[in-house]
Amino acid sequence: MSYKMNFAQHIRQIVKKGALVLLVLVPFACQDFLDISPQGDLTQASFPQSAADALLATNAAYSTLRNWSYHSGGYPILDIMSDDARKGSNPNDQLPTLGPFDTFTFNTTADGLDRWWAALYEGIKRANVVIEKVPEIAMDQAKIDLYVAEARFLRGLFYFDLVRAWGGVPLITSVTPPLRAQRANKADVYSLIEGDLSFAAGILPEKSEVATEDLGRATKGAAKALLARVYLFQGDFVKAESYALEVINSGQYDLEPDFNDAFGEAGEHGVESVFEIGARRNEGTNNGGNQYSNVQGIRGSPNRGWGFNRPSIDLMNSFENNDPRMDATIIFLGDVLGGVVTIGDGTTPDETRDANGNLIEMETYNQKVWTEGSNTITSWGHNRRIVRYADVLLMAAEALNENNKSAQALTYLNMVRARARGGNASILPDITVTDKNQLRELIIEERRHELAMEGHRFWDLVRTGKAPEVLGPLGFVAGKHELLPIPQTEVDLSEGTLGQNPEY
Amino acid sequence: MKHTLRLASVVLFIVMSMGSQATAVAQASVVKGKVTSQDDGEGLPGVSIQVEGTSRGTVTDFEGTYSLELQSGDNKLIYSFIGYKTVTVDVGSRSVIDLVMEPDIEQLEEIVVVGYGVQRKSDVTGAVASVRGADLTKIPAANPMQALQGKVAGVQVSSGSGQPGAAPVVRIRGVGTFNDSSPIYVVDGVILSDISFLNSSDIQSMEVLKDASATAIYGSRGANGVVIITTKQGKIGDEKTTFSVNTEYSVQKLSKKIDLLNGKEFATVVNDISPGSYNNVDAVPNTDWQDLIFDVAPIQNHQVSATGATKKTQYYVGLGYFNQQGIIDKSKYERLTLKLNNTYKFSDNVRLGNNITVAPYSQQVAPGVVYQVYRAQPVAVPRYDDGSFGVVPNVGNPLADLENSNNFNKGLRTVGNVFTDIKLFKDFTFRSSFGVDMAYNKNKSFTPAYTVYNADGTASQQQNLYSDLSKENRENFTWLWENTLTYNKEFGKHRVEGLAGFTSQKTTSEYLSIRGENILRDGQDFWYLRPSYIVDESNNINTLNSIANGVDAGQYYSMASVLFRVNYTYDERFLFTGTFRRDGSSKFTDSNKYASFPSLALGWNVINESFMQNITALTNLKVRASWGAIGNEKIRYNRQFSLVQNELNPVFGVEEALNPGASYGVTGNPDLKWETTYQTDLGLEFGLLNQRLTGELDYYRRETQDILVDLLTPGHLGNGQGQRVTYNAGSVLNSGFEFNLGWSDEIQGVKYRIGALGSTVHNEVLSVGGNSGVDSTLVGGYLGDGRPVTLSREGLPIGAFYGYQIVGVFQNQAELDAYPHDSQARPGDLIIRDVNGDGKISLADRTYMGSPIPTFIYGFNLEASYKGFDINVDFQGQMGNKIFNGKEVVRPDPYNFERHVINRWTGEGTSTTEPRASFGGINFAPSTRFIQDGSFLRFRNMTIGYTIPDAALERINMNQVRVYVRGTNLFTATKFTGYSPEFGSEDVLSSNIDRGAYPVSAIYSAGLNISF
Repeated sequence: MSYKMNFAQHIRQIVKKGALVLLVLVPFACQDFLDISPQGDLTQASFPQSAADALLATNAAYSTLRNWSYHSGGYPILDIMSDDARKGSNPNDQLPTLGPFDTFTFNTTADGLDRWWAALYEGIKRANVVIEKVPEIAMDQAKIDLYVAEARFLRGLFYFDLVRAWGGVPLITSVTPPLRAQRANKADVYSLIEGDLSFAAGILPEKSEVATEDLGRATKGAAKALLARVYLFQGDFVKAESYALEVINSGQYDLEPDFNDAFGEAGEHGVESVFEIGARRNEGTNNGGNQYSNVQGIRGSPNRGWGFNRPSIDLMNSFENNDPRMDATIIFLGDVLGGVVTIGDGTTPDETRDANGNLIEMETYNQKVWTEGSNTITSWGHNRRIVRYADVLLMAAEALNENNKSAQALTYLNMVRARARGGNASILPDITVTDKNQLRELIIEERRHELAMEGHRFWDLVRTGKAPEVLGPLGFVAGKHELLPIPQTEVDLSEGTLGQNPEY
Repeated sequence: MKHTLRLASVVLFIVMSMGSQATAVAQASVVKGKVTSQDDGEGLPGVSIQVEGTSRGTVTDFEGTYSLELQSGDNKLIYSFIGYKTVTVDVGSRSVIDLVMEPDIEQLEEIVVVGYGVQRKSDVTGAVASVRGADLTKIPAANPMQALQGKVAGVQVSSGSGQPGAAPVVRIRGVGTFNDSSPIYVVDGVILSDISFLNSSDIQSMEVLKDASATAIYGSRGANGVVIITTKQGKIGDEKTTFSVNTEYSVQKLSKKIDLLNGKEFATVVNDISPGSYNNVDAVPNTDWQDLIFDVAPIQNHQVSATGATKKTQYYVGLGYFNQQGIIDKSKYERLTLKLNNTYKFSDNVRLGNNITVAPYSQQVAPGVVYQVYRAQPVAVPRYDDGSFGVVPNVGNPLADLENSNNFNKGLRTVGNVFTDIKLFKDFTFRSSFGVDMAYNKNKSFTPAYTVYNADGTASQQQNLYSDLSKENRENFTWLWENTLTYNKEFGKHRVEGLAGFTSQKTTSEYLSIRGENILRDGQDFWYLRPSYIVDESNNINTLNSIANGVDAGQYYSMASVLFRVNYTYDERFLFTGTFRRDGSSKFTDSNKYASFPSLALGWNVINESFMQNITALTNLKVRASWGAIGNEKIRYNRQFSLVQNELNPVFGVEEALNPGASYGVTGNPDLKWETTYQTDLGLEFGLLNQRLTGELDYYRRETQDILVDLLTPGHLGNGQGQRVTYNAGSVLNSGFEFNLGWSDEIQGVKYRIGALGSTVHNEVLSVGGNSGVDSTLVGGYLGDGRPVTLSREGLPIGAFYGYQIVGVFQNQAELDAYPHDSQARPGDLIIRDVNGDGKISLADRTYMGSPIPTFIYGFNLEASYKGFDINVDFQGQMGNKIFNGKEVVRPDPYNFERHVINRWTGEGTSTTEPRASFGGINFAPSTRFIQDGSFLRFRNMTIGYTIPDAALERINMNQVRVYVRGTNLFTATKFTGYSPEFGSEDVLSSNIDRGAYPVSAIYSAGLNISF
């Protein structure tokens, strides 16, 4: 190569050869080359954007109900904390984690509370996606209203668990919550719940208007029944009465003739069901199963689950003579269910006695989650009832009594007793007591027997102020155990933003 | 990116114009000529010719010819070329100067391949270790990295598995991150993360870049080290084609059995636990499952290659075949490698070339029977009298699992590039290289329906009710386009190399998997997932819903970078290197898309100082220091995105139908950025006694910051329990010393070389959670039952073992009553130390039990030759690390025991270390009882060869004929009770845990090398 060039030639040479270099650079000299979207995954920025998306988002909010942790962190601790049940399973299984709930010795790091907290807020996020994003979609307004109403029903349901378990909690109503959130006061949480549920009650269809393939979605009756419960917990008996009666008078519901069907498989989506969680007989949440009953199923033979939540001797003794609900609530060893004899677990004592020889525990199981089948997998198909009509009747009775309408209260109370009687006139006579205080006790007692092992008892005792007296011997400390401790991980992660509940 | 690119092109332009100005000066006379090499008489391209005392000069072309304008007063020319002795010539009145250059043997050996170029070893300011290609073929292994064990200071290579085709785990200078800590590989300029496709015989040299000065030119990918591999190429001037044939046959054998109980001993121990289990312990069966499962197995390794050059081309053509059967049935690896390296001289200024490897392979993967064999009771029989498989309680019969396993991988890897070198002007070379890495792998796995029956004819739990067939396809495609402009100039006492470049890359990965049950027929001919082949239980043709668990996923990402480097040498004494790379990546959002990685290094060749001239014992002395920032971008690419989660399906209706649902999933972190490692290196190189003794010492300190860690977030964000979001929150320190010493000499015809090398590693987690919340620990090392055994937190090494500290055995009730214990404990159980002193034994008493990372790794080797004989001996070892015997801990059921149970506590005073026998329970909580010393010294390799003398070969027209025998992994000194103390885990939070890995075997080989 010759380098005899003047400056101009030189420049031309550079341009000519340099062009090659530039050619190489040009094709990628753009921002786009480094912007790559995830493959096969929608980003949140692009969802939901159609009517079909809106339905997906609404359905997703319901799916939280089958999340194992939604059920008080996976284990029925509300029953275990009450006088209705003991930890269950064999003596050592989950002793360090569940045992403390039996004896009120749990602390801020108690197992499962973080799971429950997180599952409820996960449900709230999914509801908020619908509430915040679906109205922005160009689609049928009636559908928008319906989806938002379903989501607000669920959000109210989730916050109701939060406020009862922990009191004032962070109030998250947006899909972009702040990293640090203060606890709201309890009244604000309740007013959000009431707002959500009354909005839902105004828009949702009655159960009879829901297509059979959609049963399990929120209804007007479900929203009103929940409202009755929400007001009962706040001691607002006037509103509680009014919503309970609206449900009763809607004509949508009745009691199952057979008590077993009120919670059993035959009564799924039946006349008594106000709100229930649909589940399929498949192992795994993704396959449609719900582990709620598997956790409580018979341990050993027949192997139907882990055997937690054991009905207590106190519960057995509390039933009136020959109340058939006792046998329908409790599986005793030797019971034949679905043609199979209950033998139970080899590592669990059939009977446990204290130092004085008093029977303190028997190997028994919760029959209300029992599902006929041949293995543990079928137990995943149990549809947990969140609200059933008997509960509505008893809420009505309670509110009416408090509002000095004992005659009317007795009507509803005795409807529940009559069904329990099952045509046997010699048991469970009608109650005729009209003294407000006495009747209050009887109604709470009736709730215990009708709704035993369904997760109501602990909170019923707390809201009626009876917990210190009834649960004190078990370790309940007034002024402390009305609320659970905020999970320690949440307190730590909040870096001081979340305060702990009293006495923890 | 726009700005960066514009900057890049402007810089290129300026650099180009500056360098060219020297040529625009007026002319005087012209001198021409040709420079040839003394050893072959061929023209030497690329020789630098400089007018003494000026910056003017030229470079020879591909023929070795040149032409240079001289000005009045120019009287001396300096000819220099890497690997040849520099010559100064008086021009006088000559207009033609032809010159023969003499190779400088010493210098020839001292050329080092560095990122985007080569350098004289004496000019290198970074920590770079070179390995000759010949050293890589000394181990009969498919993966070339295997041969690096104990060969490079600071490099730890661990073979965790003897499964044929399993890749070793490579760590350079400790463990730099909680995430992918593996180095990158640069094969002929193509950047890769794995080199399992490379045949060691095709490799010319391997360079390990360890410090920031060397690796920062690779920017966001260099933080964990860079291994540069140059494959073979025909030598210019070597016009005769050289053919090589290498063939080797090996036999592998399990080198050590685990000392487990025999049938009688097992029965005796079981009787101790549950009396009366065996009435007559002398009459129980005695099955040695290890003998049944391990066998001797062959390896074949053959290569043929042809290499040479013509005036216009250089070529290397290689064909290799590797076939390894596993010592466990149903495992093997087979690979064919085709290698084509060519360079064409297109014109005087333009060269074109290609380096291409095509490697089809197939592999069969054994099921996890090693763990099963470890646990199988010796009193179980492999087969009943009728020939059917016997039931092995609790673990299943490993022979049945093996027989029913059919797990195959088949794939094709193609890696290569085409490139062009263009001489633009004097001193400037432009290079453009377009490379691809294409990897296709198909996995096919079929298990027939089968049942192992109890002796009474009832079905045992070991059964597969329905046959199942799964298929997985993976394809990865990467293209990489790299363009560099190099400026090389020597003037006076100055030598300058400048490099500027622009590169871009895109990777697409796709994955498809599908699975079906109850396949129509068991035969291989029916291993296709057609809906019509899938039958349901009642033998009715079913529809697509039996083909389940389909996954179809993709990951795409791209990078674009600019890079710069300046190397400057003054008077052969002072050295300076500065590098800068700016990377842009699609893995990060706009605010963090780009990052810069600079490095600076200084060197001083003390030996070239005048005051050193009288110290004749010293033949080399150099000190160097470097600092730089380097990145790690090997992270999950999609953690920046907030994605929608599918399959959130509720069940509605009387028919209980799943209704599809989808909603916001876990929040992403759009603020994510790269991990950055700041590395400082101080080095000393020396040569004594005419280079008979050589040495290199280094101190390094690597601090990695912004390590990506998945942290818990507050529940109210709605991410769900236990869901984590990735943050740049962790930091880790690695520091230590490295040495590499060699002594070579010849005594009475025996040439020998002794080498020793080693490195220390101090590994310490500086922070896990940063300031982002409570999560200041990372738990890992999960055992089969979910119990974790490692904890990475501030002040401990990465993946530190964590568990109970055992301080003895409770000898009696009084001792038990006197010390905190588990409620189930009784005399004969282990005493767990009440570490926190709260008077009870709880999870809070777990404590640090040791590090999985060795504090010292070393190797030493000897090479010697005498007449036709040669011998090579390699040792390799490590110290200071622990192994967790994870396979022993998980025991919910009665399994076989390791022999130490024989010495168990059976009453007061019988043992203070071995507790009473039990099938499980508190004595099997993860504790120091299961911690073993991970130190070992391994006799890695010994080769003895004989080369037939030249005189005999000339008659048969051969260059070389050599035969050899070799032993690999011949002996290992270790206290570890398992098969091999070497563990490789890509998951740094779970390393050195023995879960029953496929053992590494001892290998005995014989081979033949021929070239003609």
